Amino acid sequence: MEEPLTSPIPKKVLAPPNVFRRAAENPVILKELRGRMRGRRAFIVLTAYLVLLGLLVCTVYGFIAQQSSTSPSDPSTRQLAGKVVFSSVILFEFLLIGFIGPALTAGAITSEREHQTYDLLRTTLLSARSLVFGKLSSACMYLLLLILTAVPIEALAFLLGGIGLEELLVSGLMLVVDTLFFCALGLFCSSFTKRTLTATVTSYAIILLSVLVLGIATFLLVAFTSYYSSSGSSWSITFLTGTMWLMSATNPFSAAIVSEIFLIQDQALFLVKVPLSGQTLISTLYLPSPWILHVGLYLVLTALMVLISILFVRRPDR
Amino acid sequence: MSTIVEIQGLNKQFGRRKAVDDVNLTVESGEIFGLVGPNGAGKTTTMRMLVTLLKPDKGEIRVGGYSVRKAPRDVRRQIGFMPDFFGVYGDLTVYEYLDFFGACYTIPAAQRPGLIKDLLDLVDIGSRRDDMVDTLSRGLKQRLGLARVLIHDPNVLVLDEPASGLDPRARVEIRELLLEVAHLGKTIIFSSHILADVAELCTRVAIMEGGRLVAAGALDELTRQMVPHRLLRISLLKEVDAAHAQAVLAARPGVSAVRLQEGLGHADRLSLEADFIGEDAALHDLLQALLAQGLPVVQFSEDTQNLEEVFMRATRGIVS
Repeated sequence: MEEPLTSPIPKKVLAPPNVFRRAAENPVILKELRGRMRGRRAFIVLTAYLVLLGLLVCTVYGFIAQQSSTSPSDPSTRQLAGKVVFSSVILFEFLLIGFIGPALTAGAITSEREHQTYDLLRTTLLSARSLVFGKLSSACMYLLLLILTAVPIEALAFLLGGIGLEELLVSGLMLVVDTLFFCALGLFCSSFTKRTLTATVTSYAIILLSVLVLGIATFLLVAFTSYYSSSGSSWSITFLTGTMWLMSATNPFSAAIVSEIFLIQDQALFLVKVPLSGQTLISTLYLPSPWILHVGLYLVLTALMVLISILFVRRPDR
Repeated sequence: MSTIVEIQGLNKQFGRRKAVDDVNLTVESGEIFGLVGPNGAGKTTTMRMLVTLLKPDKGEIRVGGYSVRKAPRDVRRQIGFMPDFFGVYGDLTVYEYLDFFGACYTIPAAQRPGLIKDLLDLVDIGSRRDDMVDTLSRGLKQRLGLARVLIHDPNVLVLDEPASGLDPRARVEIRELLLEVAHLGKTIIFSSHILADVAELCTRVAIMEGGRLVAAGALDELTRQMVPHRLLRISLLKEVDAAHAQAVLAARPGVSAVRLQEGLGHADRLSLEADFIGEDAALHDLLQALLAQGLPVVQFSEDTQNLEEVFMRATRGIVS
C-alpha cells in the first residue's frame, strides 16, 4: 500500500498560532456578538451612522464646491475636496469612537453584576483574562465594523484625488488603536465600579478631564514657548517644544491634524523637522511624527488598562 | 463513602458582624446534604466561600481534596453552583445559553451538541431549545439553571434555595429532578427554607443560626436527639365523645400528650394529635388497642414534619 501523502510543511507551522486559536475559542466573544447583532438595534445604529456620514460628506463637498473660485471639476478643487472629505470622515470617526467606545464597554463587567450573571461566570473555568479580552474584542469588532462600512464613503475621496495610500494606512492604524483605547477605558472603569451608570460617567469624565487638562496645558505651553523664544535658554526652548510635541500626540484630533500638516508641507511621514524659535544651539529638532507617538502612547495605556482590569476581575470578593 | 467536602474552622466577618463563626462540617460523596437556618444565618456566605466566590477570613475548605485558597480553579472544576437569585442572558436561546457555559467549562465544541441535548432531555425542556431564555417561566429557568450546573459533569452541586419562588408543581418537579441527579452519583448540597423539601430529600442536614452551626447529622439522628417523641395524627368519626377519645388515647403506654385539633381537617371528623415515644411495633399495638376499645379510627398517621420541630428547638430565633 502506498504511504499517505504528507505535507512538506511542518505541522507546527501549519497550525494557527496558539493566541489566535485561543481567541477564536473565547466563548465570551461569540456570546457578546450574538447578543449585539441580534434584533434590529445593531442595524438601526449602522444605518443611522452611515446616513449621518453621508450627509456630512455631501455637506462638506457642497461647501467646498460652492466656496471654490474655480469650477468643481477643476483638478485643484477636486483634490482639495477629496482631502477635506477624507479628513472630515476620519475626524467624524474619531469622534464616534470617543463617544461610542466607552458606551459599549462601560457595562461590560457591571452589567454582569447588575443582571446577576457575574457569579455564574466566576464559578466557571473562564479566566479573568478571557472574560476581559472577550468583552474588549467583541466591542472593538462592532466598532471596527462601523468603521469598515464607512470605507466606500472614504473611497469617494480617492475618486476626487488628493489622498495618498500613506494617509489611508496611517488613519486606519490610528482608528484601530483608538478603538482599542476607548473600549479599554470603558472596560477599565467597569472593572472597578459596581454600577454601569457610574462606570459610564467615570469614563466620560476621564475623557473630558484629559481633553480639558491637556488642552489647557497645551495652551500654556504654547504661551511659554512664545515667551521664552526670545529670552529662554536653548534647553528650555527645546524642552518646551518637545513637550508641546508630546501633548499634540495625546489627542487623536491634534495628532492627525499636525501629522497631516507635516505630510503636506514636508512629505514627512515618519520623521518630521520641527524648527526651534529663539536662540538655540540647534535650529531644527527631528522628532517622530505625532501619529507615531499617539499610536505608541495609546497602545501602552490600553495595555495598562487591560492588565489592571484583569487584576480587578480576578480578585475574589472580600 | 468518602468525604468530598471538608470545612474546618471557617470564619467570615463583614465589618463588626460575624457572618460565619467557626463552622466545621463534612459532606460525604453521594449525599444530599441540607443546610437550613433562618435568614442571616450564614448559609449563603458559607456556600459562597465553598464555591470560591468569597475569601474566608480563617479556616479551610477542601472540595475533592483541593483547597479553595490554593487551588480555586480545581475546586471550580468539581462544583456546579446555582445561587438563589441568578440572571439569564435574555438575548440567547436555551441552546446557546448552555453552549456558552459549556464553552466556559472548556468542553470541546464537538461534544457540546450531544451533551446539551441530553441535559435538556434530563430537565425536560427539550421542546424549548430554540426559544429565547427570557421567555421561559421562573420554573423553567430554574430547570435550565440545573442543566447549566450539570454541563461539566461536576462531582458536587451547590444549590442555594433551588425551589425559591416556585409554585407547588414546579417545586415538586425540581425535587424529583434533584433525586434523579442524586441517583447519577452527584453530591448535592442545598440550602432551603422549605423544610418539607429538606426532610424529603436530605440524607443529612446542618442547622445554622447567627453564623454558627447549631446542629448537624442524619435527620433521624437529629430528630431522636431533639424531638424524642413521634407526632401522631389521629382522626375519628365525630359521633365519638372527644373527652372520652382523648382519655383512652392518653391512657395508652407511650402516649405523653394528647391535643384536640379544633377546626382542622374534615368537618365530620374529630382530629387529635398525640406525642408518642416508642418503636413501630408499639405504634401498631396502639392502633390495635384503640380499635379494640371501639374508637372509630378513620386516619392514623405519623407526622414527618419533625424537621420543623427540630429546627424550632435547635434555633433561638436569632437573626443576624
